[in-house]
Amino acid sequence: MSRGSGGGYDRHITIFSPEGRLFQVEYAFKAVKAAGITSIGVRGKDSVCVVTQKKVPDKLLDQTSVTHLFPITKFLGLLATGMTADARTLVQQARNEAAEFRFRYGYEMPVDVLSKWIADKSQVYTQHAYMRPLGVVAMVLGIDEEKGPQLYKCDPAGHFYGHKATSAGSKEQEAINFLEKKMKNDPAFTYEETVQTAISALQSVLQEDFKATEIEVGVVKADNPVFRVLTTEEIDEHLTAISERD
Amino acid sequence: MGDSQYSFSLTTFSPSGKLVQIEHALTAVGSGQTSLGIKAANGVVIATEKKLPSILVDEASVQKIQCLTPNIGVVYSGMGPDFRVLVRKSRKQAEQYHRLYKEPIPVTQLVRETAAVMQEFTQSGGVRPFGVSLLVAGYDDNGPQLYQVDPSGSYFSWKASAMGKNVSNAKTFLEKRYTDDMELDDAVHTAILTLKEGFEGQISGKNIEIGIIGTDRKFRQVSALTLSPFLNILLMEKWPFGFKKCQSLVLTPAEIDDYLAEVE
Repeated sequence: MSRGSGGGYDRHITIFSPEGRLFQVEYAFKAVKAAGITSIGVRGKDSVCVVTQKKVPDKLLDQTSVTHLFPITKFLGLLATGMTADARTLVQQARNEAAEFRFRYGYEMPVDVLSKWIADKSQVYTQHAYMRPLGVVAMVLGIDEEKGPQLYKCDPAGHFYGHKATSAGSKEQEAINFLEKKMKNDPAFTYEETVQTAISALQSVLQEDFKATEIEVGVVKADNPVFRVLTTEEIDEHLTAISERD
Repeated sequence: MGDSQYSFSLTTFSPSGKLVQIEHALTAVGSGQTSLGIKAANGVVIATEKKLPSILVDEASVQKIQCLTPNIGVVYSGMGPDFRVLVRKSRKQAEQYHRLYKEPIPVTQLVRETAAVMQEFTQSGGVRPFGVSLLVAGYDDNGPQLYQVDPSGSYFSWKASAMGKNVSNAKTFLEKRYTDDMELDDAVHTAILTLKEGFEGQISGKNIEIGIIGTDRKFRQVSALTLSPFLNILLMEKWPFGFKKCQSLVLTPAEIDDYLAEVE
């Protein structure tokens, strides 16, 4: 029977524990939850929508600088849930990579290629001791030329999957349960339905009604595949539509 | 590579002479999803479970069986992200061989080079071993071949093998059913039956993946994905033009379902 666990270092750097687990990666997941924010992404028939909470801890803060939603290129968006500093590093590198891709190959970096790149980078941090995994779950959204609307989620372990709908953050599991029920029969949501499903999922899971300033919403639509952050007025319209519907 | 602070190996000998990190890596493999391979007289089949964390995951975006060259495919049990790294490195090695010798790399050579990479990560500074075992299936001038490569970097040629959660049951089942003169179709049926043995839930074309290679020496993935040639190039990372694209003739779940119906 193997003696010890490498001197207890399996909790400090990414080496295997006796059960074959990577504790540092699991702790990175916990860090994502500890940030206290929940995010939701929903993919419709011809659009993708991501929603996240906007918590401004201090009234003196400039609200416009508090954001988790980042454009990577004109056509790709990234929603980062977790540690904000790690998120900014990731976004910076992703922006660089997408720009180089466009320059090198002459066409826009597709959603899944960017997600794979982010995931492969995260894998390196899980295998090399000198860098810790990033405490960020990234949701990448965009319209793919051939496959249509795409939503990918990349996590600290280096996994990445395409999703019909997904969630990340503190209430991740509750949100996924809610979304599984909604998406069970493969519904083809229109743009309005997509946005409203995402927002109402967040409201239901956090059990509170939002004001337009308390959430951030990002969308891409097939007819205009540019990544856009919705304005407070647009968010208000959707919130009103939801409350009228109920 | 990396910080000089970590220029010592993390995988070191225990007092009993064991390399504990490798053992832990094998434990990680043993808790991965079951995969298996069978070598027939006229081809090889590899198969794996494809259980996804939620029904919300788009199963078309996930492909566990990958091709390394047009006539060599690979499947894994263990950690998916580590597998991607090995696939990328192996593809590059295959391409470098082709560039030098103007012929496709023999299966044994590719396996040896991949295994060497895995061994490196058990001895180099500041890195942990790969948490995957690979089943490499190929058809070259030496006929059909199946190799299993472990996290330690050791590899063996197998007539039939299994890895992952259900390994002992699967291997017992394979030992009973395997015959040296099996045809490829029989091998596919046996593979499906073996997966079915330990499968939790309803087996279907959407939650398993099957890859086959026959005497035509073209590796095919029988799964529910559709890859365009365009995306194929991206997966091969724009390798030089001397390298033929992998024949990822991907079919609907219908083909797997046909096999499943025959097996019933």
